[in-house]
Amino acid sequence: MELLLLGVSHHTAPVDLRERVDFSKRGVVEALQELKICSSATEAVVLTTCNRAEIYAACEDLNTTRKDLSRFMSQFHGVAETELKPHLYSHGGADVARHLCRVTTGLDSLVVGEPQILGQVKDAYASATGELYTGALLNKLFPWSFTIAKRVRTETNLGEGAVSVSYAAISLAKKIFGDLESLGVLVVGAGEMAELTATHLQSHQVQRIAVTSRTLARAAALARKVGGTAVDWTAIETELLSADVVVTATGSSTPLITAATIGHVMRARLNRPLFIIDVGLPRDVEAAAGQLEQVFLYNIDDLRTIVSKNLARRQEQTSQAEAMISEAVRDFLIWLHSRGALPTIVALRRHFEIVRRSELERLEPKLNGLTPDARARVDEITRLLIQKLLLTPTEQLKTATDPATAAQHAEAIAQVFQLDETPAADDIDTTHTDEETPVPRASDKTTVTS
Amino acid sequence: MTMLPLLLYLVAGGAYGFFFVRRDHLVGKLATSSLAAAALIHTFVIGMRTVEVGQLPFVGTAAVISAFVWLLAVAYLYTEVTTDERAMGVFIVPLLVGLQTISTLSEGVINPAPVLNSHWFAIHVVSLLFAYAAFALACVIGITYVLLFRELKSKQLGFFAARLPSLNVIDAMNGRAVGVGWLFLTAGLLVGAAWLFQLQPENADPRVRAMSFFDPKIFVVVLSWFVYSFELYARRVIGWSGKRAAWLSALGFSIILLNLVPIGYFLTDSHNF
Repeated sequence: MELLLLGVSHHTAPVDLRERVDFSKRGVVEALQELKICSSATEAVVLTTCNRAEIYAACEDLNTTRKDLSRFMSQFHGVAETELKPHLYSHGGADVARHLCRVTTGLDSLVVGEPQILGQVKDAYASATGELYTGALLNKLFPWSFTIAKRVRTETNLGEGAVSVSYAAISLAKKIFGDLESLGVLVVGAGEMAELTATHLQSHQVQRIAVTSRTLARAAALARKVGGTAVDWTAIETELLSADVVVTATGSSTPLITAATIGHVMRARLNRPLFIIDVGLPRDVEAAAGQLEQVFLYNIDDLRTIVSKNLARRQEQTSQAEAMISEAVRDFLIWLHSRGALPTIVALRRHFEIVRRSELERLEPKLNGLTPDARARVDEITRLLIQKLLLTPTEQLKTATDPATAAQHAEAIAQVFQLDETPAADDIDTTHTDEETPVPRASDKTTVTS
Repeated sequence: MTMLPLLLYLVAGGAYGFFFVRRDHLVGKLATSSLAAAALIHTFVIGMRTVEVGQLPFVGTAAVISAFVWLLAVAYLYTEVTTDERAMGVFIVPLLVGLQTISTLSEGVINPAPVLNSHWFAIHVVSLLFAYAAFALACVIGITYVLLFRELKSKQLGFFAARLPSLNVIDAMNGRAVGVGWLFLTAGLLVGAAWLFQLQPENADPRVRAMSFFDPKIFVVVLSWFVYSFELYARRVIGWSGKRAAWLSALGFSIILLNLVPIGYFLTDSHNF
């Protein structure tokens, strides 16, 4: 059984194509149901976000299933395969595990380290398990990747710090006031920047938004959009008395709010903290206002500096995160190959068991004279002997780190012992590994008295 | 046995420091557990002393400091558990370690003077110790406010912004701690004054006779009462919250520390029991 991934993302496809292959339009569940019918994938998870559409699958034959998935994506979304193919990427085996880890940790995201992706991958996995479309491989792969993502987030600072100007403004407001729900916001100006920041504040459910603009109609239009109230341009100073956060973005050529005005307002409001986000260019608030004790004045450059520092800090963390992922993928690879070696291990054990039994049968006349207790002990000794003899080859087969070496080991063992390559179906339990039937380690001592 | 609380406070101090820098939650839990263990064993030590001297062991500066450390540890643990905020520990626990070291080094059980065998005494001392613990918390909270405030004003967000709660939350915590401390300080002073009026006419103990407003210990504690009263007034009436309140908390607690250690040891004539 092989692991396969096929998909498009912001790295390979333009936004208009990503919009057209968005599985959420028709629903992930419908996609899974259709995929189950029309593809050779034995297990599958469909992941869809605004930046990626991916199918993770387990299959018998990589090439066949890759073609199936490509055809499925094309047909499901009604996008010609020739148009889709140049933007598709595909991974197999350990690369699938590495890619999934990079996705869940946010390393593969447009904004490196963004935290929402982990929840989206968890939802995708939950949908697949809900449709009973996951099995031994994907049930190992996805929970494992969640653990890695959690570890990377805990041990690195990958997800820390705001990485957009408006989010930086919200983070600052939270650092000053804590709870945003009791805040009053005054928006001065009704342009695009004012709207963007006001919308972000509204999404954090601030208590009250007042909008003012030289043209009252424009202020009223923005106030309607953000669920606020429009106030007269001349009432700015009155509004400053009650506001906690002030957003200014007017494009005025001279500062609209002077330091003297703010100083006067601060005295009247008993020095209650005032956070001013001046995103206007040129600036709307006199820079000297920032010197006043409880006034926190940030202009667009200040916010951009915070964002770029945070992005640089995240970038610094990526190499540490990549190293953690590489180490984890190595372990996953061992597990994956141990599954590939399972038929050889089972055949080897069966071969040795046959030898053991035939030898016991051959010696039956000599063993006849033994008491039942002594017979049982002979049986036990021979079984333990075989287990010990098989310990090293079994471990070698399970811990080979590259497929070529694993295949070489398996082939060599099969030839040396003339193993039957296709063990009986009931000999192999594909859902269980040897952890449930432990083989004694070389260091284990077995004391047998005769 | 008396060294054990100090050792555990030290371990907790190290763990809180490590937690603050690395934000490793496992270390954070270890820090809380060590501090809880220290407070528990400290309780046991104070209990043993109580049995030994037959009343609460608040006689002598070393015992008072030890009781103060214990109260502050318990008050901090309560704050940490109820707010789920561990960041302040790195500022509080070193204070506990320092004071507990002074207390442990000058260890010794002092049998109480007969004059102290009174309920007034217990109420007076316990109220003041509660007040001091609250003021210590307010001071540390104030320091963290200033650290975060500086980062936000200089627009250089970094170490403290990533670790401390918001300015408003810290300021509210400071205000609450000062309010509670002021109530206990006032109660402690009033009870002490009332008790003194009862004692002084006929009591011959020179320490009781030395108790007056001009005794350094009493003068300085009254001074601290004025500082905290002004802080509360200024916060409500003239808007001295935030940084100014933080500095006033630091000033107030510096005065209390001055009273607790150098004045308590060397300068007072009245409180040398």
